[in-house]
Amino acid sequence: MTAVPLHHYLVVGAVLFALGAIGFLARRNLIVMFLSAEMMLQGVAINLVAFARFRGNLQGQAFVLFTLTVAACEAAIALALILMLYRSRRSLDVSLWQDLREPGQEPTVDEEPLPPPPPEEPLPKLPPAGVEPPHPEETSRV
Amino acid sequence: MPDVSQLVRLLLVEHLPITLAVVLGLTAVYLLLPRPRGYPPLWGAAAGGAALLAGWFVIRTGALTPETLLFSIFSALAVVSGTLLITQRNPARAALAFALVVLSTCGLFLLLAAPFLMAATVIVYAGAIVVTFLFVIMLAQQEGLSSADQRSREPLLASLAGFLLLGTVLYALARSYQSPHLNDRLREVQQFQTRIQGLSRETALPDERSKQVVAELEKFLRTFRKGDPQKNIPSARILGGESGGDELADAVYEAQDVLEKQQFNLENNRPVQWDEVEQALAEVRRVGDRVVNRLGTFQPRDQTPLSGLSGPPPNRELRRDAAGRPELPAENVAYLGRSLFTDFLIAVELAGTLLLVATVGAIAIAGRRAEGPP
Repeated sequence: MTAVPLHHYLVVGAVLFALGAIGFLARRNLIVMFLSAEMMLQGVAINLVAFARFRGNLQGQAFVLFTLTVAACEAAIALALILMLYRSRRSLDVSLWQDLREPGQEPTVDEEPLPPPPPEEPLPKLPPAGVEPPHPEETSRV
Repeated sequence: MPDVSQLVRLLLVEHLPITLAVVLGLTAVYLLLPRPRGYPPLWGAAAGGAALLAGWFVIRTGALTPETLLFSIFSALAVVSGTLLITQRNPARAALAFALVVLSTCGLFLLLAAPFLMAATVIVYAGAIVVTFLFVIMLAQQEGLSSADQRSREPLLASLAGFLLLGTVLYALARSYQSPHLNDRLREVQQFQTRIQGLSRETALPDERSKQVVAELEKFLRTFRKGDPQKNIPSARILGGESGGDELADAVYEAQDVLEKQQFNLENNRPVQWDEVEQALAEVRRVGDRVVNRLGTFQPRDQTPLSGLSGPPPNRELRRDAAGRPELPAENVAYLGRSLFTDFLIAVELAGTLLLVATVGAIAIAGRRAEGPP
């Protein structure tokens, strides 16, 4: 009987943590950044549950319950904050808030222009309304 | 001055799967991160598939059992949807990918004997948090993709940082948990076992073949126990690490003892008792599996006062199942509740207070009226 050893679970947890870290660093949408942070928490939760399993002790699982609680609180507050930030700048872009940076830092400027938006489809042409359609001449007068 | 050739050997020979997986994953994530003129997604997908394959070599287990199969499926699903999360341009799709990450994590929780956590995570994350996220996305992004989703901030530096961290962690894990030498040894023991099983069916008088097997086995066990300094093979005591070296060396010594008796039988032209040898080898494998499972653990000292309310404290001898893992109580919820209300009572109260404060805070923050233009 071969079982999955402890360090395989730790590897999966580490991969999730690293991916979350990359997402938090690279993405600029506030919501995606926050989702990445939650993914890092998931990686840590896998580690804790795996340690609990391989120690025969439930303390790791109890710890994950607390991280779950804290993650729920964090989500509630962060979403409220994101809504407030969105209201004041009308965008979820985090680099609109770069005037909060430290005094010596250079601002980041987007050099590469966005590709032009796809051309809008032409509207369908309708015949002008109100024109009297041609109709045959009346042949009889009463 | 670090030795460059040693570093190259470490990266490209000893830990080649890790290096491959990290480099390919770095390429995949770098290619897939959103940017105005992106690379074709097919390149990134190909690199990602290759990285998954290399990752499978990192965490490959020998036999295909339901458990290893489920583990591979769930972990591959988690990693793939995690990559999708950070590379999707559409935040709503990213939220759905996050739900997939959470669900596959829950599968791993089930494999780790944590059914209550599985249910709680599905309800709290996939049920509440993801739905709230989707709600905020719908509320805030009605006009489609914003320019923030088309760009990434420093994609190369970010993926370098993340994968450097990952590579270091994987290397440290391989150093402390994997023992390729020990695994090779145990595999060889298994091969000897199958050969002996073939021989023991024909319990005739000793012939050339059994003499050869005994000689080979004797040589193998001697190298296993003592090691071979010339070929850089460590001894059993070193292979087993601090927690199991003595045990492993003792088991191998017993097997040598049994084999010596059979050599005596051979010399006196008596039939070899193969089943005894096989039993000794099976014992070596059992101890070896247990030692492999215990590699990299730091067991606290016996005198450390540890609570026994959340299961047996880790400095006591544990009951282990056939695969060498400690047994967990079957009533997960009952024992988790006992653990929460004994060991973690203050923490539970604090968590409740935290939830209350977070609710009040969220309402206070979000309830304020708009400050910008309406």
